Amino acid sequence: MGEVIVITSGKGGVGKTTTTANLGTGFALYKQKRVVMLDADIGLRNLDVVMGLENRIVYDLVDAANGICRTKQALIKDKRFENLYLLPAAQTKDKTAVSPDQMKKICEELKEDFDYVLIDCPAGIEQGFKNAIAGADRAIIVTTPEVSAVRDADRIVGLLEAAGFEEPKLIINRLRPDMIKRGDMMDVDDMIDVLAIDLLGVVPEDEKIVISTNKGEPAVADETSKAGQAYRNIVRRLEGEDVPLITEEKTEAGFLEKLRQFFGLKAHTK
Amino acid sequence: MKNKVIKALLFGGICVKNDPVVIKGTKEGISIILDDSLEFDDLQKALYEKLKNSRNFFSGGNVRIQAKNRNLSNEEYEKLQKLFTDFGMNLQEASSPKTMIFPKPNKSRVLLLKKTIRSGQKIAYNGSVVILGDANPGSEIIAAGDILVMGTLRGMAHAGADGDSSAVVTAFRLKPTQLRIAGVIARPPEEREDGPLFPEIARLKNNVIVIEPL
Repeated sequence: MGEVIVITSGKGGVGKTTTTANLGTGFALYKQKRVVMLDADIGLRNLDVVMGLENRIVYDLVDAANGICRTKQALIKDKRFENLYLLPAAQTKDKTAVSPDQMKKICEELKEDFDYVLIDCPAGIEQGFKNAIAGADRAIIVTTPEVSAVRDADRIVGLLEAAGFEEPKLIINRLRPDMIKRGDMMDVDDMIDVLAIDLLGVVPEDEKIVISTNKGEPAVADETSKAGQAYRNIVRRLEGEDVPLITEEKTEAGFLEKLRQFFGLKAHTK
Repeated sequence: MKNKVIKALLFGGICVKNDPVVIKGTKEGISIILDDSLEFDDLQKALYEKLKNSRNFFSGGNVRIQAKNRNLSNEEYEKLQKLFTDFGMNLQEASSPKTMIFPKPNKSRVLLLKKTIRSGQKIAYNGSVVILGDANPGSEIIAAGDILVMGTLRGMAHAGADGDSSAVVTAFRLKPTQLRIAGVIARPPEEREDGPLFPEIARLKNNVIVIEPL
């Protein structure tokens, strides 16, 4: 019996889809888990594009929910990674095309076959959100170090608690240590302070994410990508391993920075 | 192929949009196409005006009426017959009041769209579809007949959706996400990044979708 995890945020553009793609790939690639990624963003689907599987879609979530096809028929096998599957959203319908009950049924069905069912939640708190969380056992909240994103994340925490989710976990995405050093960006501790939930990981801003998203290849498989490293660590933490947070890197750099400044040396990054 | 599309364009009734009555010359004589949406009385008036304005140009000609989806009652038919006789024209007898010139009605019906079909938009039509513009990724065009994109086809196109395996998909730039003809599904090879810069046509050959220069 697998586990259904919903990846949500409230605000759009913080990296829910990127996170879903990278965690899904990470579980399949590094932990040999059977994973299905479910795109719940009906009408604005993206996960298929990020995974480079758009041209393989025949049936979608709405077809599966309404019995036009069997759930397994709608699953698309990833072109690179074994054990990784995608259940795409429909693009020409809207969020009302499926009901929370139908989502629950599909999640139950997928749980039988897979170790992880990762649901890519749409932005917002309306029907799409309600559908996405309906069949989920756990929730991961993605936010960026911006006041507006943190505010929306806080709203989501409240809604998840009301829906009976215990201890949602937090991923902070697109962090820029250099900006935090200058005091131009919210600190990780500030965000944890407000949200008061467990931190699962911090993903640094990384231009490799843009490249990999455009190519349809998740960054987690790229050993040289910093964001990919962060996602690999998150995968290990979700699997129960004790992996120190990347945030330490930030404080260390801050310390070295101060030393260099003290000796009047120029800062250089490696 | 080209001929077929042009024929469909001419007779499919798409030019009728602003004109309730369209008069065309055909091999058999004069063909008059009547708009579906008008009341019969208005139609009769429009036809009268048109014939009156053309004076005796059509006098002595053989006429066929193409009523499209309208079912003309015998009474209405007789009214038209009288009108034509008044102008010196002979209405050709038809087996049924609703004269169909083309044997395959849905293939000759053409939907012309002058716009870009965007992601999330779905065009489904029981006939052929012509797009004067592009079809972007995430869009779906589903037609019982052929699909012609006078621009770049980047989305999904399904021709012959009712099972017509002679249906084709043509585009000025054919770069679809996925192509379907009748019951066959194909996707372009992964390495095909840009594709050629000339029009192409996709059709079924031995149950495989093949793409050729047009």
